[in-house]
Amino acid sequence: MFNSLRMSMGWVHTWMGLVLGFVLMICFFFGALSVFDREIDRWAIPDTRFEPQPMPSFDEVLKPVYEQLRPDPVDMAATERRVVGSLPDPETLELESLFAYTTHRDPVLLIGGEFAIPNEPIDPTDDHQHVHGRATVNPATGELLNDDALKIGSDWFYPMHFSLNFNWMMLGYWIVGLAALVMLAGLVSGVIIHRKIFREFFTFRPWKNLFRSSLDLHNMTGVVALPFHFFFAFTALVIFASNIYLPVTHTTLKPLHEHHEKLEAARTGLPHEPAGVPAPLASVDAMVAEAKRRWAQRDMAGEVGFLSMNHLGDENGYVSIYRAGSDRVALVGEGIHFKASTGEVIREEPPRSAVSSIDEFLTGLHLQHFEHWMLRWLYVFGGLLGAVCIATGFVLFVEKRKARHAKTGSQGSRIVDALAVTTVTGMVLAAVGMLVANRLLPADLPGKGQWEQIAFWSVWALAFLHAAWRSSPVAKARHNPAWREQSLLLGLLSLSAVGLNWITTGDHLIKTVFTDTYWAVAGVDLSLIATALIAFFAAARLRAPVSEQKADNALSRNKQVNAYD
Amino acid sequence: MTETIWLIAAVTAALLSMSWLALAYESHWQQVFPESGTLPNRRRLKLSAWVFLLLSAVFCLNADHPSMAVLVWVMLLAVAAFSVAMMLSHRPALLKIICLPLFAAKA
Repeated sequence: MFNSLRMSMGWVHTWMGLVLGFVLMICFFFGALSVFDREIDRWAIPDTRFEPQPMPSFDEVLKPVYEQLRPDPVDMAATERRVVGSLPDPETLELESLFAYTTHRDPVLLIGGEFAIPNEPIDPTDDHQHVHGRATVNPATGELLNDDALKIGSDWFYPMHFSLNFNWMMLGYWIVGLAALVMLAGLVSGVIIHRKIFREFFTFRPWKNLFRSSLDLHNMTGVVALPFHFFFAFTALVIFASNIYLPVTHTTLKPLHEHHEKLEAARTGLPHEPAGVPAPLASVDAMVAEAKRRWAQRDMAGEVGFLSMNHLGDENGYVSIYRAGSDRVALVGEGIHFKASTGEVIREEPPRSAVSSIDEFLTGLHLQHFEHWMLRWLYVFGGLLGAVCIATGFVLFVEKRKARHAKTGSQGSRIVDALAVTTVTGMVLAAVGMLVANRLLPADLPGKGQWEQIAFWSVWALAFLHAAWRSSPVAKARHNPAWREQSLLLGLLSLSAVGLNWITTGDHLIKTVFTDTYWAVAGVDLSLIATALIAFFAAARLRAPVSEQKADNALSRNKQVNAYD
Repeated sequence: MTETIWLIAAVTAALLSMSWLALAYESHWQQVFPESGTLPNRRRLKLSAWVFLLLSAVFCLNADHPSMAVLVWVMLLAVAAFSVAMMLSHRPALLKIICLPLFAAKA
């Protein structure tokens, strides 16, 4: 079928890239937004626009908050289907374990826990016998925050980039995983088919024709950020490998896994099962102080990132305190475990092994717990370079074929072009449209988060319909005016988001940058303005002669470039 | 504060390094000096580029924990290379500033 390695690699690169490129656009763009997910949350939930705070006192602030925590109704319903009989009144269920999680960027604290249920499972091997509860707390006051407010950054854009927010049978995760794998194949095949990887390292010639200049940009954005592209696709697979993509510990090796859990409990002294004997809770603040003292002793002074308790109210109960990995590429770690009833140390986790350190570095470089604003922006830039690389790939696909398709009457390039508009400008429109909806809908609207999600999908669907409707010139080897129209709309929408934020909250840029500095909101506003400027600039450039390029021009372009033949 | 200074130094070194690496190619040299009739001294340019590449890594290591410094460095190189490519295509004359005469060889 193919005469050379380069040709066969070209085929893989073109077709795999096309099919999964649409998914990769979502991963790169929403991944780039996820770098600042907490900041987007602040923008979307104005009640939480205050400074990040360390983990508050458990004894004084958090303990009463957990008493207000209730089981999640959605999880109640899901659990009810898996157990014999009906579940007791959620008000009567008691917590058997709990956690609190915060980072150096969080003004609010995420808490949660598992409520014990007395019911037997329908499937005897089902050991997931509890109902979850989750809440967001203002750590300064200990007050529970409105559950209805969707954290657009951390609960919508962030999961979008690894699950497409498509949770049925976890299909979204699998599609993204496949896309990450294809991304790796795309990088390898791309390097093989690229003829002048070093000589054209710095080459971008916007004055050349659309095909050539897009190819320059495609190659350049792919090559200069090659390590970033490679490591993010690779670590994405590493992060989900053990629990989603290759879950052997919960399938084939389940008995071994459970046996190991018990042996580990015996080895570490952290009880696997409750004793059944009630016991009180000693001062957790004293345990936190002891943990901090021990970290400082190891020359790793730090704050608490994660706190959890198991077997609550039981003699076997224990408290685990983990250090936040803000000052290095790490996750929460250096765990110290205390006996809940007495506060004595049961176990201090030893330093990580070499393998575990590598795993932590690979996962940590993707999950970004670190406190380093410049590196965060560099990551955003890397993500956007990835998006540009894929978007220019779509342009190449269309430019290479549209003249031929115009002759044969094929609709192929027209369809790809419409989908490209949808996943480039349409996707950004959906994200910005959601922010606009967030500012337009009243804060106390019941189910506001649901309406925001509807707005997100509706804008995206409309962008697709518009792109498809306007795409007929592509079938005649011309340019789709939807690119320009959506760019214009994006510019207007981005500016209106900034304006609406000012009108509805009083937080304008002079205030958030100069008089009462709050960078989380200022950063989102400034990014929206930058988006608007780029969109208007793109719209202005798209008015230029490209739309009137003749089909024979396109034909001659095809002869110049044969990298993908 | 010292971290910021080290990081600014790292950014500067990375930009210089990438600019010199680009100018070592005759095609890019021509973009910056279209009428000078000189050619790039490729050895000098490349040597300086590699030295500054290493220097920027050292500056990153001075600023942060090594696990973070390596990421900052790799990302910085990507941004620097992209910036140089964009300068070459839009404002090549900007690169004249950092290109000392000692990098030019007679045509």
